[in-house]
Amino acid sequence: MPAAEPRGVERSEARLAYGMVAPAVATILLVALFPLGWTIWESFHLHDLRMPWLGQPFVGFENYGEVLRDRRFWGAMGHTLWFAAASVSLELVLGCVLALAMNRTFRGRALVRASILIPWAIPTVVGALVWRFMFEGLENWLTHDRLAWVPVILADTWKETPFVALLLLAGLQGIDPTLYEAARIDGASAWRQFRFVTLPLLMPAILVALIFRTMNAFRVFDLIYVLTAGGPGTATEPIALYTFNSLMHNLRFGYGSTLSVLVFLVTFALALGYIRLLGGGLTETRS
Amino acid sequence: MRSSWLALLCLLGCGSEAVGGPTTVTVSGSVLGAEGRILRRQLERFDRETPDVRVEMRPTPDAADLRHQLYVQWLNARATDPDILQVDAIWTPEFAAAGWILPLDPFAPDTAAFFPVTIEANRWQGELFALPWFVDVGMLYWRTDLLDRPPATWEQLERDVRRATADGSPRYGLVWQGARYEGLVTVFLEYLGGFGGRILDGGRVTVSEPPGVLALTTMRDQIRRGVVPARVLTWHEEEPRFAFQNGEAALMRNWPYAVAPMQDSADSRVAGRFAVAPMPAGPGGRHTAAFGGAQLAINAFSPEAEAAWRVIDYLTRPEQMLERAEIVGQFPTRTGVYDDPALAEALAIPPAQAREIVEAAVPRPVTPVYTQLSEMLQIQLHRALSGQAEPAAALARAASEMQALLDRVGLGRGAVARR
Repeated sequence: MPAAEPRGVERSEARLAYGMVAPAVATILLVALFPLGWTIWESFHLHDLRMPWLGQPFVGFENYGEVLRDRRFWGAMGHTLWFAAASVSLELVLGCVLALAMNRTFRGRALVRASILIPWAIPTVVGALVWRFMFEGLENWLTHDRLAWVPVILADTWKETPFVALLLLAGLQGIDPTLYEAARIDGASAWRQFRFVTLPLLMPAILVALIFRTMNAFRVFDLIYVLTAGGPGTATEPIALYTFNSLMHNLRFGYGSTLSVLVFLVTFALALGYIRLLGGGLTETRS
Repeated sequence: MRSSWLALLCLLGCGSEAVGGPTTVTVSGSVLGAEGRILRRQLERFDRETPDVRVEMRPTPDAADLRHQLYVQWLNARATDPDILQVDAIWTPEFAAAGWILPLDPFAPDTAAFFPVTIEANRWQGELFALPWFVDVGMLYWRTDLLDRPPATWEQLERDVRRATADGSPRYGLVWQGARYEGLVTVFLEYLGGFGGRILDGGRVTVSEPPGVLALTTMRDQIRRGVVPARVLTWHEEEPRFAFQNGEAALMRNWPYAVAPMQDSADSRVAGRFAVAPMPAGPGGRHTAAFGGAQLAINAFSPEAEAAWRVIDYLTRPEQMLERAEIVGQFPTRTGVYDDPALAEALAIPPAQAREIVEAAVPRPVTPVYTQLSEMLQIQLHRALSGQAEPAAALARAASEMQALLDRVGLGRGAVARR
């Protein structure tokens, strides 16, 4: 090779570097991209374990067409969006109130901060069972198509608010106290201090909490599986539960994979949107 | 590709069979509680009596849906183990059409000795694919201290409930399985038969015809009028059993298994104060019991089909059925056993009455896509019962979805001749 000596060294170093990261790259490919690729491949095939005589033919976009005509799919999408909107807004408001309360200095603050995390530490399935037992004692709550949302959203809010509160508390503690002093000297009321000092400076933390919570709410499964099983009828069935039913209960691998791909696309789009939003939020605070 | 992976996993997980010595046959099914103990005891006895065949148990989930899912995954992977499968009658056509279980006719089973309804439910395209092991039938449990006689019609039932619950004790009138699962379809089937309707007629969906609408309207109105509590819409088998056993319900629809625990006076507040009867009927129909229970089938990929048949033959002998009846209260599938005086001791109800209920039992539609059809029906039944849709509209929607599926897989109206 006619290359100069230093370049040769660089090259062999580069080769070494590639060799060192290769296992990590291979692992990512294996655990992230391979299943995703397989799911996409499945979504273009008819694959119904219960009807093996139909074979596993390539069907193009037929599964996607069926999804778009599927009333249960659109219902599940609507339920998921409604659940995410309702529970995440409740969690943000309550989380903010809790964070503000915990940010004050008072006796036993450490104890309050620790105990507020208890709901978050309880496994979702256990928490959901407790809520189900409570609401089963009340006539008609779990068997009414609208009322059944009350325990679902309450349980999620109860469980996830501490997480939001914790994130926002961290954000609050990063705010310089002298800003409040200056605001007070200028005669700003408590509300104006909150509106014009706290809220803008808390925005990055709020956005982070919003991203985490929306993405998780969009994929809600275990809570509803235990609490209502998607019922009555399919009135509280979220998209993740419908996908699970198609795949694991009905064993329609092709169709279930199509649902999975669509869920992936929607979540991915949400994530991209939030990242742009968050990027903006961060630069704003820097300037 | 997926199949071969699954097969490989199973090979790794299930271990290797011993070479030489007795043939090993594996049996899968429910091994919970008394049912598991009696199966174990019977298989041990078989082992002693049959030195050249060894039997091993492969426990599977007790929940039918989960067991079905597991079987489908195993059989798709052409797993050779387990050799014998405990199947619900509604799965037999599905597994038979898929080529996953063997026809049993070559083994010359004595089908004439079984209730015809139990044999018919296990035939697909004229061949027998599973041997009935025990029968489950839906029955009406009624409190003998609250009512003089079991209600024969729905009107009578409603009057009885009004009278029995007038002072607030018991809290509930009639309780049944109303959650969105297979159990709801069996309850509906009994109301439907009571009005003379059917879910399927060959390849044609008939559930939305007037008897179906009448049956579902009756169920819905019973909930509206408080004859049946709305909370049954989240109940499976055990919740109504607890309610009835604690004296909170005047009537209950359940399977025969509930008799034994409720007769046990230590746990039960109604021991000696209840009896069973056929479900009530409406005009135009007859008293109907949904036919359930377990069958035994041979895995089509099993290398030991002959030995597997010997195990099935052993487990379905009259004396084994009698023992099952004594210990777990499950009804025998052989008619001859009902003449045995020992059965009168074993069952909580007179054998003649049990026999009558079994003979009137109605199987669910015999079709390989039953589980899919059932899910469509379950959702719409549940919507109507929870007040989200009118019974006629819900059934019309279920029927159109069910018919579309049947037509799509070639089992629809034009394919009636296939059966």
